[in-house]
Amino acid sequence: MSSKDVPLDKEKKRKRTLKAESLQNGSGDGKLAETKRIKPEPGLKQESGVSLFYAEEEEVDERDPEKDVEQFKAACANIKHAILDIRQLKENKASQMTDDIERKRVEATLQFIALKKLNRLAHIRCKKVRDSTNEAKLRIDKYHLQLQNLLYEVMHLEKEITKCLEFKSKDEEIELVSLDQFYSKAPAEISKPEVTQHDQHQQTLARLDWELEQRKQLASRLKVSQESKTNVEEDIRIKQEYLENLQPKLNTILQATKPVQEYLGMPFDEIREQHQTAGYLPPPLFVLYKQATAYREACDNLLTVTLDGDLDAARLVDLSVPLLDEDSESDQEEQEKKASKRRRKTVDAKLSDKKHRVLKKHPLSVVIQVGCEDESALQLTFSYLMYLHIVTVTIKVRQSSEMGTSSVSGGDLLSEDTLLDELYPGDHGDTTPNPTNQYQLTRSGLKDFNHYIPQVGQPYRWAQWICGLQYLGEGVPQKPQEIISCGSLQGTIRKIRQRFKARISLLQQLSALERHTVAVAGEYQSLFPVKLQSQVVIWQRSTFEDFVAAPYTRSIVEAGLAKDNDMFFIAVIERGTAKLTARIVVAPDYPNVAPIFSVLVQWQSERCSANDSHIKNLEEELNVHYEELVQEKSCDYLLTNQMQRLIMCFDVYLETGENSAKEGPSEFSREKVFSRTTRGRQRAKPYKYCAELGIFTHR
Amino acid sequence: MFSEFILILYSLEAALAPAATDITKNPIYTFKASEDGSIYCLISTDTLIISASNGTISAWKWSDVLSRAGKVLWTITIPKRRPFFTPEVNSIYINSKADMASHLFAGCGDNNIYVYDIETGQEVHCLQGHTDYVHAVTKKNDNECVSASEDGTVRIWDYRTAGESTLVLQPYKHEICGGGPRMSAWYLRSLTMSATFDTPGACQQFIMFNEDTVISAGTEAFVNHWYMNGDCKSRVPCTPTSVFSVAINRESENNRVLCVAGSSATIDVCTNFGYKAFGLSFTMPD
Repeated sequence: MSSKDVPLDKEKKRKRTLKAESLQNGSGDGKLAETKRIKPEPGLKQESGVSLFYAEEEEVDERDPEKDVEQFKAACANIKHAILDIRQLKENKASQMTDDIERKRVEATLQFIALKKLNRLAHIRCKKVRDSTNEAKLRIDKYHLQLQNLLYEVMHLEKEITKCLEFKSKDEEIELVSLDQFYSKAPAEISKPEVTQHDQHQQTLARLDWELEQRKQLASRLKVSQESKTNVEEDIRIKQEYLENLQPKLNTILQATKPVQEYLGMPFDEIREQHQTAGYLPPPLFVLYKQATAYREACDNLLTVTLDGDLDAARLVDLSVPLLDEDSESDQEEQEKKASKRRRKTVDAKLSDKKHRVLKKHPLSVVIQVGCEDESALQLTFSYLMYLHIVTVTIKVRQSSEMGTSSVSGGDLLSEDTLLDELYPGDHGDTTPNPTNQYQLTRSGLKDFNHYIPQVGQPYRWAQWICGLQYLGEGVPQKPQEIISCGSLQGTIRKIRQRFKARISLLQQLSALERHTVAVAGEYQSLFPVKLQSQVVIWQRSTFEDFVAAPYTRSIVEAGLAKDNDMFFIAVIERGTAKLTARIVVAPDYPNVAPIFSVLVQWQSERCSANDSHIKNLEEELNVHYEELVQEKSCDYLLTNQMQRLIMCFDVYLETGENSAKEGPSEFSREKVFSRTTRGRQRAKPYKYCAELGIFTHR
Repeated sequence: MFSEFILILYSLEAALAPAATDITKNPIYTFKASEDGSIYCLISTDTLIISASNGTISAWKWSDVLSRAGKVLWTITIPKRRPFFTPEVNSIYINSKADMASHLFAGCGDNNIYVYDIETGQEVHCLQGHTDYVHAVTKKNDNECVSASEDGTVRIWDYRTAGESTLVLQPYKHEICGGGPRMSAWYLRSLTMSATFDTPGACQQFIMFNEDTVISAGTEAFVNHWYMNGDCKSRVPCTPTSVFSVAINRESENNRVLCVAGSSATIDVCTNFGYKAFGLSFTMPD
């Protein structure tokens, strides 16, 4: 190519030259040629004319824009000079002026070619710069995109990292055995201490392994246990079935043994049934039942304890429910009272209904039968008043057949309401022992408790005690306490039996006295002389009013020794013309409280303790020295013995009576042996009988 | 009361004080005075309390008793003359004079009067002669004593010798009308009855002189005051139906009262002898 270029370049040069020559020849053409010629001058003279157009672009790269600017300035300056020169010339109008002007004009025009070229270059350069700018811009965009991608990637990665960091392993939720325990318990092949001591991860893994191992073991044990449980359940089921089958069999056996029990007199069944029934007893009666049964088994086989009443009704009774809704009812009642008379009948009905409820007994009752050696027995029925919280007793006497004695003066001795009067001092069983009852009754519009005793029985204090009840002060019903029952039961039973026996004995004595015989029991015969002259002629019942009315009983009444619940008797003893009237007070608690005698002697004059000291001494013998008339165990015959002593002393009184010689022989012969008839300033009479010698002496 | 045989000490001063209450009338000291048998009589000297019961005479020192230490100082036992017979001492009298040996006279149930020397406790004489038991014994003068008996006689003895009684009075022979003998006053000098004191239906058991009157009481609830001539001055009702003893406190002029004891749980105290003022009641020691 170069070879080819070279000729091209030569040709170009030649052409130009030609052109320049031609231009120089012509006028206008000359100028153009001139610029053409000038233009390559600055360096591009080698370039061929063909590649000139393209070359300019490369030329731009080679040329310095700064120099171009100077060239441009220089060209502009040249043009200016030329113009200025032409002007000068024209003004000077020098000779050669035309030539010079011409020349100068050409020169200036040539400068325009240079300017043109420079302009072109500037354009090219401008285009080139724009291109390069675009190019750079594109590049920048590309880079920017790349940057964006990278940033996104970074963000993603960061997210991933966070995610990873936040990851929780499942094993953290498992509670593992403590480290010490793990190393001590786990076998070495699992714990691998040489590895795991230092590596936390391995350690955890090993612990997890151990956990797994243990859980497997536990699971297997659970399975074993469950299996054994099922086995045991099965066993139980079998045994249960066996037991259930056993009950009917046992019942059959029990049924079969009944005749045997009856035959042998061992009522096991009844006892068992009773014990079951006892479960439904109200607490006080339960205490009583329990204690009485225990007492019977321990030391009193004449006692029988049974239960009576409606068991089904007892099952329905709920003691915890209050029986009355008092306030509302009483209010209602008030209102009803105010209401018209027509409704009175319903009020009455209501009252009786309420009375019924207030005095309601628990359906079950405890029956204690206190037997004596003979057939006779005392049957005590204990009932519990649920609303009033007290225990009442009703008494039934069963006399033995042989004891068919009856007595006119002692007809009420075994009566139900007085038999157990004053078993303990002051306990008449006519008022309620629970102080709250009075208020309860008043509130319910009922009368005093003693009006209802015939219905409900007598609320003796001892009955409360043996049921374990004690009312202290403002009597909130106490819970029955066994200790109270236990402490008083034995004594009370003993007292009851003693009282019962004493009453029966008293009845017999009264019966004998009514027949005017003083039947002294064998063991007491020695206390009296065999022969006594005085005779009982009257024995009869008296009353408290009668007793008080008698003048010679004043000192006894004043001393409070006679009460209206005592029994009073009158005995009349006669010997010849002398008559002795004795008024006798027998306390309910006879013979623990000795009978008291008050004596009136009618012989020549009326004499009593107030006007005759001998009668006072006689009364002393009976009322004070009665202890001599009772032997250790039985004091049952006290009244008879006192009567016998009264007769004896009356004999002594009459036989030692002062007689003056003037009246002739005494009416009463001395049949007794006296050591002395009188003694002391009082002329006391020898009332004391000395059994060993058969003589009478002074006390 | 009948089985205890006790002596009870009351304070008259406290009971008569203006601020006296029921409490001050309670016994201040009670002690057992006899093992067996009632106490029939009781006398007091400056230093001793002497009581007599069935066959025994016991003495206490006042100082001991007042300091609440009732220890028996001495006891004299009356000799038993018969089996199964313990003679009771119905009356004792002490003849205590500073210049003479003190003698204790005991009128007993065995018809005898025993004279004891208090210093030695020995029996000096036994005066025998009564045919029934002796009710009362007292002193006539330094050499003689008087006794009254159930046999209806009053005998005057010279107790220096243990012989028969010197004089015998027989009141029952002077009876005018029927009934028992009455209380009577006698002139000792002439041994004639001067006056009788009539109490129908009641036997007087206790008699004493008080100034110019005679006080007597017996088997009725009255204390009788008599003039010397036999006229009844007054009859004062009292609590006991049979009076055993009447005493006047002569020791203190302020507390000069009459006390009446008998078959009752109260001792009546009469401040002006005319009526019963109050009673010292006997409460059993717990």
